[in-house]
Amino acid sequence: MTMYNLTTDQRVDEALANNFLRQATRRATDRLRNNKYKASEELGNWEQWRSAGESIRKHVISNLDFYLNQLIEQMEQRGVHVHLAKTPADAVGIVRNIVREHDAKNVLKSKSMISEEIHLNHALEEDGVAVVETDLGEYIIQIAGEPPSHIIVPAMHKTRQQVADLFEPIAGYALSSDTPTLTRFVRIQMREQFLRGDIGITGCNFAVADTGSIVMVTNEGNGRMVSTLPRVQITLMGMERIVPSFRELDVMLNLLARSATGQRLSSYTTILTPPKKTADSDGPEEYHLVILDHNRSEILGDKLFRTALNCIRCGACFNVCPVYRQLGGHAYGSVYSGPIGSVITPLLEKDWKKWGHLPYFSSLCGACSEACPVRIPLHDLLVKLRMRKTQSGHTPQVEQQIFKAYRYFFTREKTLRRALRLGAHLQWPFVRNHRISGGPPPLSNWTKSRTLPMVAPKPFMQVWADLNNKR
Amino acid sequence: MSNTNDFISHLASKLGRSTPAQTPPPVDISVPQYRLSNSEERVSIFLQNWQALGGKGAIVRSSDETLQCLKAWFGDLPLNWLKDNHQALVAWDMLPTVAESAFSTLNWPLTRYTQSTLDPRDRYSIAAHAELGITGSDLGIALSGTIVMNSDPLRGRAVSLLPPRHLAFIETTKIRNNLFEVLEEVSVLGTPPAAIEMISGPSRTSDIEMDLSIGVHGPIEVYVVVIDN
Amino acid sequence: MKVSLFATCLTNAFYPEVDLTMAKILKHLGHTIDVPEGQVCCGQIAFNSGYVDDAREVARTLINSFERSEVVVGPSGSCIAMIHHYYPTLFENEPVYLKKAEDLINKSYEFTQFIVDVLKKPDLGAHYSAKATYHPSCHATRLLGIGEAPLKLLQNVKGLELVPLPEAQLCCGFGGTFSVKMPKISEAMVAEKAEHVLESGADILLGLDMGCLMNISGYLEKINKPVKTMHIIQLLGEGMKS
Repeated sequence: MTMYNLTTDQRVDEALANNFLRQATRRATDRLRNNKYKASEELGNWEQWRSAGESIRKHVISNLDFYLNQLIEQMEQRGVHVHLAKTPADAVGIVRNIVREHDAKNVLKSKSMISEEIHLNHALEEDGVAVVETDLGEYIIQIAGEPPSHIIVPAMHKTRQQVADLFEPIAGYALSSDTPTLTRFVRIQMREQFLRGDIGITGCNFAVADTGSIVMVTNEGNGRMVSTLPRVQITLMGMERIVPSFRELDVMLNLLARSATGQRLSSYTTILTPPKKTADSDGPEEYHLVILDHNRSEILGDKLFRTALNCIRCGACFNVCPVYRQLGGHAYGSVYSGPIGSVITPLLEKDWKKWGHLPYFSSLCGACSEACPVRIPLHDLLVKLRMRKTQSGHTPQVEQQIFKAYRYFFTREKTLRRALRLGAHLQWPFVRNHRISGGPPPLSNWTKSRTLPMVAPKPFMQVWADLNNKR
Repeated sequence: MSNTNDFISHLASKLGRSTPAQTPPPVDISVPQYRLSNSEERVSIFLQNWQALGGKGAIVRSSDETLQCLKAWFGDLPLNWLKDNHQALVAWDMLPTVAESAFSTLNWPLTRYTQSTLDPRDRYSIAAHAELGITGSDLGIALSGTIVMNSDPLRGRAVSLLPPRHLAFIETTKIRNNLFEVLEEVSVLGTPPAAIEMISGPSRTSDIEMDLSIGVHGPIEVYVVVIDN
Repeated sequence: MKVSLFATCLTNAFYPEVDLTMAKILKHLGHTIDVPEGQVCCGQIAFNSGYVDDAREVARTLINSFERSEVVVGPSGSCIAMIHHYYPTLFENEPVYLKKAEDLINKSYEFTQFIVDVLKKPDLGAHYSAKATYHPSCHATRLLGIGEAPLKLLQNVKGLELVPLPEAQLCCGFGGTFSVKMPKISEAMVAEKAEHVLESGADILLGLDMGCLMNISGYLEKINKPVKTMHIIQLLGEGMKS
């Protein structure tokens, strides 16, 4: 897991030097972005749908206590075991206990970002439990020992050949690197696992409060397998992923499918209202819902950042972000990358030393806010995070001094004029061909890759003053 | 669970007020929904979208037409399958009449999933080794080319999941315009069934180099027969 | 009317000719120009870096300098966007300055917005023969909602062939301090933007934000592909010289 040991600068350098990764990121984001565009145009009145989505999410979050309580009541009434996890460690502990209680040896997993957030697989493996990632992309990165590089297509950074090479030791023979062969291999490989699973762990796209239902949006069929075949199912859920009823679910499903992959509906949209009815032949007999806080309650209480909880994890922001486009997900170093990851990671993890770089992985272009189907003002949240970081005293001293100097000069127009005229004289050592190139840091951060125009001999304010004095 | 009370009141304090005792008034949602003007259009669009997703589809009006359709799609394959595995065709306990009649005439014996054996693991194994899973449907969605199936004691989720091929029957009267209408009908049920599966085409992924691959874990081939009575 | 010019700090220091041209064009259209002294900067560079207090004082200075103005016009989408989008936040706890900020918001415009939407003069009678492409700066487009105005002005320049810029919506990588704080990522972004500028086949790159143009042209210079870069105001100024 070398990814986790690199510094931010090293990760960025590695990403920028990896041409395949950059091409793959362009290809993945271009495809998904275009698909979303077509799907949203087809639906029509996209802004109205976004508005509805925004209202629904805002309403749920501002009544989160009510709806979460209702969800828990509904589920417990029917015999679902609901577990409340304050921290990732709590959540891991809960899952480990269930696995231990059932003496489970084979644990199947379908896609769950929460499981990544709490680093579940690692913990279970320490217990000697084989965790099988059944989602193709997650399976690939599990074998590779890497974190996801995109929230929807986690293995987009891998070439076909790399995937074939990863599968070879498992297959016991070399696989040809075409998609049908690789997919067929995984189908057969997983099939055995599906039928042997003792416990299935799933994620949750939305929980429906008034019926106590869980909605899973998938395409491969592994989500269905993991929620049908094992005798015990555990669903991991971020506590904010709720809709009040099926009425709001309609809006959210329309927004999610179209924004994430450009589909009208995913191949399998499954609404579970567990546990199975006694007479049902299929389905888990025992159902556990693990609801994770992990500082979401803190974000809830923080008026500036509350809207960050509105996210429906569609990935649309990734697909328009010009920074993500150049880097891919690993450079961020966090489980959640892209614009939303840069916003929520510092808030969930509460560690400026480790995650303080994330709000700066943005030129504040605003494309993310524009793309978000529920209108989260992501770029505003990034600025607010920078404010928080500055106010907490975690920014470099040099930077603080520079902005003090900025404040001094930029509130004194005449003084600045004189400083600029001085600058115009002093710049000559750095001038080549009437452009500034070279110079000390931080100037060199610019001039390493770009030239600058010369500071004008007279700033406009002086030029204008002179013109008018001549009249 | 006092744990729940603590958890919820913690959230209430973060929201700066006590938890509402009543359900908050719902948000006003006014989005223009996709609607077609009549059943023919709905069926036609439904089939079009199903096929665009890679599924095969047809409309039938009688048991005989059903039979012809099945022959056209599967030929004599089922007979070959049944030679090696007498449980090659698994199905719900009950299918629409025209379907039952067609299978009977074709002499393609169906293994009723829920009655196939007592042990769930063995049942799954039977479904996994079957070549074709046959179901009815509860509802359909024209806009997204979707069939909707509720779980039920006389059915079995594995039937539409484990075999490499899934064949579904749906009556024209069950096809709705959009997801909203389906969810509305589900709400009216009160407590929903344990699982509602909404299936739109075969299983798929683009996880490897964004290259679309059909048939990952779920069925590779999907068929729908629309029954017009 | 009496139009007050907001020079904007980058233009003031590096491209005073753009401000001068802006004055000339507005004068040509029959308006009287004043340039209130004391104005410096909208404060976005500090605000976007999280230094709110520093930004606030700089913003206060700006608000004060335009207090007596009827109308304020600036050659920068991002600066006017800063005023419109963030000044209410900056002064949310100061009722007096909040009111003054709102007044400034209501009377301030980006140049092309002012010409097309307020003065209703999309055709300035300019001639300029060249093939050009237009980069739609992020803040102008997304925060200020400037869409058609610059294009309308350019479409009416006789002899000007406007060619599309591939992936125009992509940020050029300037982002103010971003270009200096995250230089390698910024370089990767401007490299792609430059790629697309060259792809367009245009001889001239146009824009309405000097920051973006400085960034893209600076990179093009460094890689020895100096596509001519002009602010729309400069093109219009040249084109109106007859």
